[in-house]
Amino acid sequence: MKPYFENMERFGKTLKQGRIKRAAASSEQLKQTEKEIEKLKKAVEAAGFSTEKINQRGVMTVWQRIEYLVDPGTWHPLHSLYNPLDNVEGTTNVVNGLAKIEGRWAVVIGFDNKVMAGAWLPGQSENILRVTDLAKRLNIPLVWLVNCSGAKLPEQEKFYANRRGAGTPFYRHAELQQAGIPILAGIYGTNPAGGGYQSISPTILIAHKDANIAVGGVGIVSGMAPRGGFDVEMLEELIEKTREFSASPPGTMATHFDVTGFVSRVYEEETGVLDGLKDYMKAIPAYKPEFFRVATPKAPEFPIEDLYSLLPANQKEVYNFDEVLARLVDGSEHMEFRPDYGPEMYTGLCKVDGMLVACIGNRQGFLGKGYPEYADYPGIGGKLYRQGLIKMNEFVTLCGRDRIPIIWFQDTSGIDVGELAEKAELLGLGQALIYSIQQTDVPMMLVVLRKGSAAAHYILGGPTANRHNAFTLGTPATEIAVMHGETAAVATYSRRALKEKDAGRPLQPIVDKMNALAQHYHDHSQPDYCAQYGLVDEIVKLQDLRSYMQAFAGAAYQNPTSICPRHQLLLPRSIKG
Amino acid sequence: MATEVLVPLAGNIWVVLVNVGDEVEEDDELLVIEALKMENPVYAPCDGTVTEIRVKKGDVVEDDDVLMIIEES
Repeated sequence: MKPYFENMERFGKTLKQGRIKRAAASSEQLKQTEKEIEKLKKAVEAAGFSTEKINQRGVMTVWQRIEYLVDPGTWHPLHSLYNPLDNVEGTTNVVNGLAKIEGRWAVVIGFDNKVMAGAWLPGQSENILRVTDLAKRLNIPLVWLVNCSGAKLPEQEKFYANRRGAGTPFYRHAELQQAGIPILAGIYGTNPAGGGYQSISPTILIAHKDANIAVGGVGIVSGMAPRGGFDVEMLEELIEKTREFSASPPGTMATHFDVTGFVSRVYEEETGVLDGLKDYMKAIPAYKPEFFRVATPKAPEFPIEDLYSLLPANQKEVYNFDEVLARLVDGSEHMEFRPDYGPEMYTGLCKVDGMLVACIGNRQGFLGKGYPEYADYPGIGGKLYRQGLIKMNEFVTLCGRDRIPIIWFQDTSGIDVGELAEKAELLGLGQALIYSIQQTDVPMMLVVLRKGSAAAHYILGGPTANRHNAFTLGTPATEIAVMHGETAAVATYSRRALKEKDAGRPLQPIVDKMNALAQHYHDHSQPDYCAQYGLVDEIVKLQDLRSYMQAFAGAAYQNPTSICPRHQLLLPRSIKG
Repeated sequence: MATEVLVPLAGNIWVVLVNVGDEVEEDDELLVIEALKMENPVYAPCDGTVTEIRVKKGDVVEDDDVLMIIEES
């Protein structure tokens, strides 16, 4: 298959100086948003006690542990700003991302021991479930840095119970292991109750000498029997018990290494635990990238910095999606699938680090006279029409047959609407694409380049594809909402405005409400909001997009659950004809 | 040879980015038409010199109207 993949068709053009000049303000705006997001991330990293204070106790922070554990330059954080229940701590208290350890991709997650000694907080289980889903979708190990003091008790009602509550990750751990996906745990500090199950549920347990893991900790053991209230005498009794249990807490390594043997290794030094995790990572099955490479890896022909001039911050400004893609894939080369059909969608095969990936993206701008063929109005990119939907259904299905991971790029205002669109079967074709994705069952990632709107956000590989979408990235231009705020204001208030007008009442109050609703939509669709509430898994700088694509492709091809031999691929032959 | 730059999509002229006498290259942005709620750039079809501009900001244009003339180099 070398003739197909070693040198594919080049695409993209060198950026014009005029474009760079015209995009200068937009480029600056994108970079400014990136700076603001970076500032928010730094604030989350600084949550709780300072690094100095933790280090003075002879303990490393979770960030220091991650830095020591992962291969340099491979950390790709996810969920950095995720805090869906607005915790005052500014975090759900777990840090996670994709990284290589000893040359192998893993999903890495750790409790932030600077914040309440790594307590369970509201929203945390949802964060963890995103991570277990990710490990399952990519079929790669999950590596835990456990350091969990248990529940933040004053807010337990927000996360302790429920279907996706704090206990659900333990079932997910069991599910991963059932699927043959190992979970490694490096255990530090005091881990009572929930922390105990965080420690015991992985596959391999490696602990620091001062760690303990237990069904219940000192606080629970010393005050377990409720007596209908408290008085000073009872408090004195409690103090004595606490003193006694603190001197000898349950579940030390003397018990769980020497007696139960739950823990495989115990280390004197904190770094020893991390070295132990590295040892186990070396023992985990992983194909070398060469096994699945279809060509020698190449950098894109054009600089990634061009993205700041190509992707306009202004949501109304049309751009060339193919030029964006040419900055992200190996050698700026591709094999486009059905280029003469469904012009609103790009579908094609590209390479990332020499590995085959399928790319699907919304094209922008005027689609040419006579399109869509079923209507008497002009088609515009970003919208989905009949041909584009049919093309994506075919392409995705062939990707499933050929076992090719898919990278989606969204900038969509929705599916075409109206009676002609209904007659053209767009409702059925949209749901057909969901069925095709479900049937395809390959790892997918999504980049919401700008707009993610309407049902198109669902069907274009969106995060709603729980079992397929490994993760979703946003950019500094991302805007996700069911529709544009002004459209929503019209939909909400147009009939009311008519009634007010006919009744002879002033219209200004309606105008004010419409403006307020439009502003509300704006404020609740921007990159920081999308990141905090989990509409995306991370907002990344445009210049980092390719790096995340490399992480995705590397992880997807590390240990795939099914393989299509390259000489039996159908899609490239279908394209070539 | 003179090449006419035609309106690809009816709308309003949002901005004109070149002046008469400007040298342009193929694919340079010449102007932007606001249509279907989007700002759609119109690109130079060839290398050359802008010899005539028939529209200005705010004009309403229809399909296939002539926007400007480029004398090919």
